[in-house]
Amino acid sequence: MTSTLFKTWLERGTGFALPVVIALAVSAVVLLAIGESPLDTFSLILSESFGSARRIASTLSAATPLLFTAVATAICFRAGVFNVGVEGAFLIGGLAAVVAGFSLPASLGWALTPICLAIAAAFGAAWLWLPGWLLARLEVDEVVSTLMLNFIAAAITGYLVNGPFLSAQSGNNVTPPVHEAAELSRLMPPATLHSGFLIGLAILFVYAIWARRTPAGVEGAFVGLNRRFSRAVGISVRHTIILAMVLSGVVAGLGGASHGLGQLYRYTDGFSAGYGFTGMAVALLGRNHPVGMLLGAVLFGALASAGTTIQLFSDIPLDLVNIIQGIVMIFSVVELGRITIRRRARA
Amino acid sequence: MTLKTLLASSAFALAAVPALADSAPAALIVAQGGLGDGSWNDTAYAGFEAGIAAVGIEGRAIESNDVVAQGEEIMRRAADSGFGLVISLEYAHGEAMQSLAGDYPDTNWAIYNQVREGDNIASVLFGEHEGSYLAGVLAAQVTTTEGIEGINPEAILGVIAAVKSPGIDKFIVGFIQGAQSINPDIQVQVAYSETFGDPTKGEQMANAMFESGADIIYHIAGGTGIGVIAAAESSGHFAIGVDTNQDGMAPGHVLTSMVKRVDVATEQLVRDYAAGNFPGGQTLVFGLAENGVGLTDMEYTRDLFPASYLDAVEAARASIIAGDLHVWDVSSEGYPDFFQ
Repeated sequence: MTSTLFKTWLERGTGFALPVVIALAVSAVVLLAIGESPLDTFSLILSESFGSARRIASTLSAATPLLFTAVATAICFRAGVFNVGVEGAFLIGGLAAVVAGFSLPASLGWALTPICLAIAAAFGAAWLWLPGWLLARLEVDEVVSTLMLNFIAAAITGYLVNGPFLSAQSGNNVTPPVHEAAELSRLMPPATLHSGFLIGLAILFVYAIWARRTPAGVEGAFVGLNRRFSRAVGISVRHTIILAMVLSGVVAGLGGASHGLGQLYRYTDGFSAGYGFTGMAVALLGRNHPVGMLLGAVLFGALASAGTTIQLFSDIPLDLVNIIQGIVMIFSVVELGRITIRRRARA
Repeated sequence: MTLKTLLASSAFALAAVPALADSAPAALIVAQGGLGDGSWNDTAYAGFEAGIAAVGIEGRAIESNDVVAQGEEIMRRAADSGFGLVISLEYAHGEAMQSLAGDYPDTNWAIYNQVREGDNIASVLFGEHEGSYLAGVLAAQVTTTEGIEGINPEAILGVIAAVKSPGIDKFIVGFIQGAQSINPDIQVQVAYSETFGDPTKGEQMANAMFESGADIIYHIAGGTGIGVIAAAESSGHFAIGVDTNQDGMAPGHVLTSMVKRVDVATEQLVRDYAAGNFPGGQTLVFGLAENGVGLTDMEYTRDLFPASYLDAVEAARASIIAGDLHVWDVSSEGYPDFFQ
């Protein structure tokens, strides 16, 4: 028993470490090729990511949206539902929370934030319920439907922020700012790390409990492993699929709300820097495991944050960080092959 | 990771900050789209590099994949690390800059296309209305000239803009005012594409406008405008480019471009900073007089029409600079009677 457990953890650790090691090796070669010292560069990245309390705060701030999008992705992936629509639900939830945050009366006070979060969760849930229902009832391929819904989400939010919700005081496509009461407070000002990070951690914790300790969570894993078997033992596959999608939408919507209310205080062009897709890589890298996803989100957060600020101190271009991220993503997708095989097997 | 290596690596980070005798280094935060956009960012970067080279200080351009959300952290990190000048090209950074600049009184800050308050913040605006006026003067003359292929006798011009906002309508009103100065009865059709990034839509809208009698269309629509230029080329009519020199995108079919010299402005900021007279607390307007806006040399089109047309443009330019001619600025004066 102990040795199986050890083996599982070893396997997970390797699954996580291998892409990172390969990425570092490749980028070391690239650095040597452009005449930079890999050792100096990596230690600079390390100190810019974790070198002081402020740098750690910056890293965690960049990791915050990824916590949400990774969990949102994992909820579906573990049930064998290949949902790539987290990005869209993140945008929809973010805009919904921000619009509620500036249009509801500020006199609601402390209640405003939870109301905004609830609205974002509802919008996110509704957004991903649709492809869930289409998959469960009509067997519409979820990859296609969720991918298309991302474009629709971008178009809808783009239109709304450009028209009905456009701030009168701005020459750019931004909404008015949310009321101060709706803002998520900063944890260690002036760093931008905000309480959305704590919400993200709480969601990760709830996910861990849900996945292992609740019937619905365990059924999700069964459906992910083998749909026929699940049906045979009396699990409603349709119900499980729709539930996974809806929960994914709730988490993605909350992520958008956290970003809107805690980081940007408004909705603007460029609201999401592809968090939904980076979150997918985090979920794959962390093998849907809460600890793995936490580490993955921190890793990508560190790369995003340090990758930018190292340019203040060196001639290392952003491309290097893009190379590291890209390679980590490619090799973490090794897991993806397994999901694809499952998808074929169930058909 | 041991404490020792951490300390060693932070020491490396500190040592990497360039020590300079006369001036602390300058940072340029690149906006969404990044370097290589062939437009806003690249133009500003060219001016930044030119300024840095001219005054001999250290300068760094900072790119981020997530520039909107990371803006505040980048700006604070730059100021904390001893940068003396931080310029952001990202519109969305204005608010954060205003709120954090007070924490760093020794750092100079600069932001574009908006006015932010703070003794150490320079706000940079462009006189797009003035440059657009000149485009209107030229287009109004060309549109009724006989013998130019693709030009019909009707006095109809077109404008395709991305969104209705004071920042965009500023261009349109200047263009209309310039066109009307040549021909008071000229008709200027205006349409909004509602998007900056849809060339196909731009092309469809431009074709519809060309079919209704317009022969020159001024686009103020970013990527959507690429479609306007494509439509001008395929239908044999004309477009007017914006922001950068777009004359070469369809040689002979882009009458001219209304260029916005963000490079001139950026270089000026760097030079002023190095010279110790950074315009903190001021709003700088880069109009015609400052060479901040203007028309291109019309490399591919200047032989199509009589040279006297350019004399009229030059005359208008001179009167605007001399202050004899006032061009309406929607962003500061609101909407005029002739355009609501």
